[in-house]
Amino acid sequence: MSAAAFTLSRVSHRFDDATVAATALCDVTLSVAPGEVVALIGPSGAGKSTLLALLDGRLRDWRGRARVLGAPLSPDAPPARAHRADVGFVFQDFALIDRQSVYQNVMNGRLGRTPAWRSLWGRFGERDHMAVAAALHDTGLADLAARRADQLSGGQRQRVAIARCLAQEPRLILADEPISNLDPAHAAKLLALITGEARKRGIAVMFSSHQPELAQRFADRVVGLGDGEILFDRPAGRLSDDDIARLYYGRARGGAGLRVVGQ
Amino acid sequence: MRRAALWLVPGGAVLWALAGADIEAARIIGAGARLADFLGRMVPPDLSVWRDMMTGLAETLRIAVLGTLFAVVLSAGLGALASETLAPAAVWRPVRAVLAVIRAIPLILVAMLMVGAVGLGPLPGILAVTFHATGMLAKFYAEAIDNVSAAPVAALESAGATRAQRLRFGVWPQMAPVVLRDTVFRFELNLRESLILGIVGAGGIGLHVQTYVRSFQYEKAATVTLAIIALVLVSEAVNTALQRRFS
Repeated sequence: MSAAAFTLSRVSHRFDDATVAATALCDVTLSVAPGEVVALIGPSGAGKSTLLALLDGRLRDWRGRARVLGAPLSPDAPPARAHRADVGFVFQDFALIDRQSVYQNVMNGRLGRTPAWRSLWGRFGERDHMAVAAALHDTGLADLAARRADQLSGGQRQRVAIARCLAQEPRLILADEPISNLDPAHAAKLLALITGEARKRGIAVMFSSHQPELAQRFADRVVGLGDGEILFDRPAGRLSDDDIARLYYGRARGGAGLRVVGQ
Repeated sequence: MRRAALWLVPGGAVLWALAGADIEAARIIGAGARLADFLGRMVPPDLSVWRDMMTGLAETLRIAVLGTLFAVVLSAGLGALASETLAPAAVWRPVRAVLAVIRAIPLILVAMLMVGAVGLGPLPGILAVTFHATGMLAKFYAEAIDNVSAAPVAALESAGATRAQRLRFGVWPQMAPVVLRDTVFRFELNLRESLILGIVGAGGIGLHVQTYVRSFQYEKAATVTLAIIALVLVSEAVNTALQRRFS
């Protein structure tokens, strides 16, 4: 197998930085291979968003070693432009430009791929337009392309955020609760889309979710994060109910309450 | 106690004002006839002044256009300096204080100072409007900058956008409607306020109004007044139409 999509070794982060709502990470060691789909589950405040932001190069002041797509990450500075373009991110709060059209919001995913000076005049290449059209089609947004982002429902906005990431044609997809606002049918469809795209093109995906059933259904591997620590890391088929119970309730099913994980 | 003060303070203010205002019923009763006489002498408006009037209105419009333009240029720089997100507190606090002082000086007072400094004509008018409008516009621009939400801009950076691309596709689309709306609003204010600048010799239509009224040529003053009302109504209609687009 070729080099890993990313590797983290003994990565830690403390949240004494009051400006960022980031939870602690404690000695996280994790490696994901190209083409692998990994679900990150755990209670709120477990550190899922922090871990994903770190992998996206947006977290500062962490310790340990991290390599993403073959390049070392620095805790002091954001990665280079080409690297940022290769790592796609689906934001939990969507992070859309409200007054722009759906089309332009998705086109914004192409900004790292297109010549910067030409894009400043609003001119994008044919390849950019084709990538946007494909992403809009795949996410079922083609009819809404001209609509302003602030005129969409929560579920539609989430699909725009996913479409923007797909249009980016990333080599690694990180998704922070990408289906939290979708009904079960749409959630399954979009997870199938993201993971299918990843398997087709051999790129790695790591998504966080609060829905263990969907995580098991669509991921190859499930990583359980509690209190900033990896509690388990198993192939999706071998995840037990006890794992879930321990992760969310701090105890094995049927056992006595011994340990409280999370807040 | 505090409820009592709530009534006593405004009540006292009204009594104090009434006591010294020298309001004589006889003068008010007599006013009706004199006002009718005044208005009567304005009819019919003397349209022969239209050429002078158009020159004066054009000058007022020019003062408003150039005053707004220069205020926009100054406010772009000062607005950035007055922004909490772009400038350190040691810069934006004093800049905002200076802007507040500028806003507190009435335009007519600035115009009088400018006439003293550069002489009569539209130039002092343009300078006065520039100075006065910058006090408000720079504050509005700073607020527009500070209201840009950071998350979508961070998302563009994550996708590989350069700094210039983030400004063009992340920051500017969030600011632009606010900046355009505030600028159009300020232009309308500039136009209204510069109508009277001629009275202190700072150029524009105000000079004609003053000349005609002082020399008892009410038919001519009537024409100019009607033209001013028309201009203000038109500018207000245009402003309202534009405001609706910048939401």
